[in-house]
Amino acid sequence: MKEIVDNVEQWRAKGERVAIATVVATRKSAPRPVGAKLAISESGEMCGSVSGGCVENDVVIHAQEVLAGGEPRLLSYGISDDEALGVGLPCGGEIDVFVERLD
Amino acid sequence: MTLADRLLELAHTDEHAVLFTVIEGPGRGDKLLVLLDRDEVVGDGPDGLVELAPEIRRNHVLAHGDARVYAEVYGPPPRLVVVGAVDTAEALCAAARAIGWHTTCVDARAAFATRERIPSAHELVVAWPEDAFQQVPLDRDTAVVTLAHDDRFDVPTLAAALRSDAFYVGAIGSRRTQDRRRERLLAEGFTDDDLSRIHGPTGLDIGAETPPEQALSILTEALAVRAGRPGTPLRTAGHRIHVES
Repeated sequence: MKEIVDNVEQWRAKGERVAIATVVATRKSAPRPVGAKLAISESGEMCGSVSGGCVENDVVIHAQEVLAGGEPRLLSYGISDDEALGVGLPCGGEIDVFVERLD
Repeated sequence: MTLADRLLELAHTDEHAVLFTVIEGPGRGDKLLVLLDRDEVVGDGPDGLVELAPEIRRNHVLAHGDARVYAEVYGPPPRLVVVGAVDTAEALCAAARAIGWHTTCVDARAAFATRERIPSAHELVVAWPEDAFQQVPLDRDTAVVTLAHDDRFDVPTLAAALRSDAFYVGAIGSRRTQDRRRERLLAEGFTDDDLSRIHGPTGLDIGAETPPEQALSILTEALAVRAGRPGTPLRTAGHRIHVES
């Protein structure tokens, strides 16, 4: 939380709602440890990370749904499939990410 | 004040707290923030979690009735207390600071314990160890390393460290020095079991010669001890590189 608190406070001061994505579990190797966070503002600003950039795009789509009134959700990412643009972790690890609105 | 406001406020401090979030099952998204230093609880999470909070040491998911709950730990960074304001003390404080630790350097000699000599210590305490440890609490998040090469500092430092919950106790010095200190600590009533907590000579065997190299050797050993890892090459490790959670 320390790594994102300053940005989150700035966004909230502007009246924006904020979603937080947190790595809650990792299996095998994973780029970021449990507890790593990505914060996303309503206007699409971001800070922090939940992976080495591999799954952030997909997490942001879910964060926007959550900001638009969607339920908080648990996402799981594993090894990427053969599709070049498939969402996954090239390192072969697996992570679970919880996405919620901060309120 | 909402839970979010309270959480952001907490993130600016080093207070101990545990944040529980229901991630699966009934009440998904419910949160409970347990502020351990002030007996305060904020939020709407399920019953029965507050009692668990004091024992939770690392971020992980736990099963709780029909739900799965993610517990996130808040608290101060590890603290390094170095006794003996020598060159290696500065190098050790600098290295520990670089990985986010809080650093304290203790020396009774005012000419040694100066800002100019030890600029990387967050806190400089000019006092004998017995007095210094009245002001500097040694808890389970503390690593204590004595670099003084002087029994007047080293023996009381080790005695205080062994009476504390410090996660790492390191002592510089040759094997002969270690043996002499050991006799003195045994004479003070410590047992062999107590003394087995002392990492002396302190540090991993990486061929460190200069103060910055010694600092790396000592700090990596302290990190390994904290993580319960052997400090051996990853290439030879049979287990996973990252801790599973």
